Amino acid sequence: MSTSSIRNEFDIDTEQVLKHMGYGTDGVPSARIESLVKEYADNICHLIEPSYSYVIRDINSVRGSRVFIEGSVTFRSNIIAQLLEECQKVAVFVLTVGGRLGEVVRQLSGDGLMVQAAVLDAIGSDAAETLAHVVQDIVAKEAEAEGLGISLRFSPGYCDWRVSQQKMVFRAMGVDTAGVRLTDGCLMIPQKSISGIIGIGSREKVESYNPCLTCNKRDCIGRR
Amino acid sequence: MTEDIISLIRENVIQGRVTQDDEGLDEGMVGRPGVTELIEKALAMGIDVRDIISNGLTEGMNLVGQKFEDKEYYIPDMLASAEAVGAAMELLEPHLARSGIKPKGKILLATVKGDLHDIGKNIVTILLRGAGYTVKDLGNDMEPQSIVNAVRAEKPQFLGLSALLTSTMVNMRDTIQALEESGLRDKVKVVIGGAPVSEEYARSIGADGYGSDGFQAVAVIESLTST
Repeated sequence: MSTSSIRNEFDIDTEQVLKHMGYGTDGVPSARIESLVKEYADNICHLIEPSYSYVIRDINSVRGSRVFIEGSVTFRSNIIAQLLEECQKVAVFVLTVGGRLGEVVRQLSGDGLMVQAAVLDAIGSDAAETLAHVVQDIVAKEAEAEGLGISLRFSPGYCDWRVSQQKMVFRAMGVDTAGVRLTDGCLMIPQKSISGIIGIGSREKVESYNPCLTCNKRDCIGRR
Repeated sequence: MTEDIISLIRENVIQGRVTQDDEGLDEGMVGRPGVTELIEKALAMGIDVRDIISNGLTEGMNLVGQKFEDKEYYIPDMLASAEAVGAAMELLEPHLARSGIKPKGKILLATVKGDLHDIGKNIVTILLRGAGYTVKDLGNDMEPQSIVNAVRAEKPQFLGLSALLTSTMVNMRDTIQALEESGLRDKVKVVIGGAPVSEEYARSIGADGYGSDGFQAVAVIESLTST
């Protein structure tokens, strides 16, 4: 599937968008906010330029909280080490919905149109999540062809995996980073981008791994 | 009549209506004057700008803050109200000096080096302007030295620093250190905010205050203004 065909398949989950904007499970948005979210969600296609890239790397070894990946890449995190210890390979990915949406958000915000800016920003986040699901499905199919399964998706910043580890994710990617650039402060440009890993291994071992099940941080926004 | 206009301004801030074309939180409001039409009318009637700001805008925003705290309002509702106050302050700006209204203080705001997130900072800018402060937004990805230079040139009472990432919030510490090294630290109070930041982190890097959201940022600056 080409990235240009993905653009027309973006189905924005408006419930998730509202969740991003602070409405929890009980929050009821006003009619005005609801219609604004729907209007932007329906017209998102001309604002996004989806692009992704992924590589599948061998896991050389796991020692304590360090995971050594082919290509002189070392991931440091207890949670990631526990996951990859059970995996045979790891898919490393970077994806983006492009910079155009962010430019419009900045324009709106600069013009004082804060509601529109916040709604479009939340929709951009959801569009990136949607693209991540697409990448996850592609990796899943590739794993399935070898009789293997995939784990949940993890990104630097999740659990104990530091944001500064973006550098290692980008090193693992090599030259093709889907047009996404990493700043010294580990911020991805364009901003509506996601990088991360997906473990690949035997189904019974990788599919059940979920660190949230034993984590006490009940208010974590990334809880799964 | 004055009281009617002021209470309508207050009500429209709460409803987050900038113009007559805007929907409010309640239904059936389209076509009724919004904050900008009401401000223009109030100015034409010669109503005291001080009265418009304190009893209309500030009071309206205080009520919005209360609703936000009580979880009756969510972020977009608060943003709509902030937008209305921002539009109102733009109309009132030329009348402030003429009315003898002095700003409560001057504040510089910046997103620190390496970080480009600015929605939160822009919200705080509007809320602080509505609360009567002069705010200069320095922008994003600001080097510590550029912030120091701005503090030296502008001589603000407050400096607000924002960051959204754990990897960039460390530059708040560098900025405060740069202020210390340049001998300016005791000339300006530093308040920080942003998703990864906490009260504890603010203390650990030697900031004077921490705002967990836009309203808290205003409250902290108000409390530091009176000390």
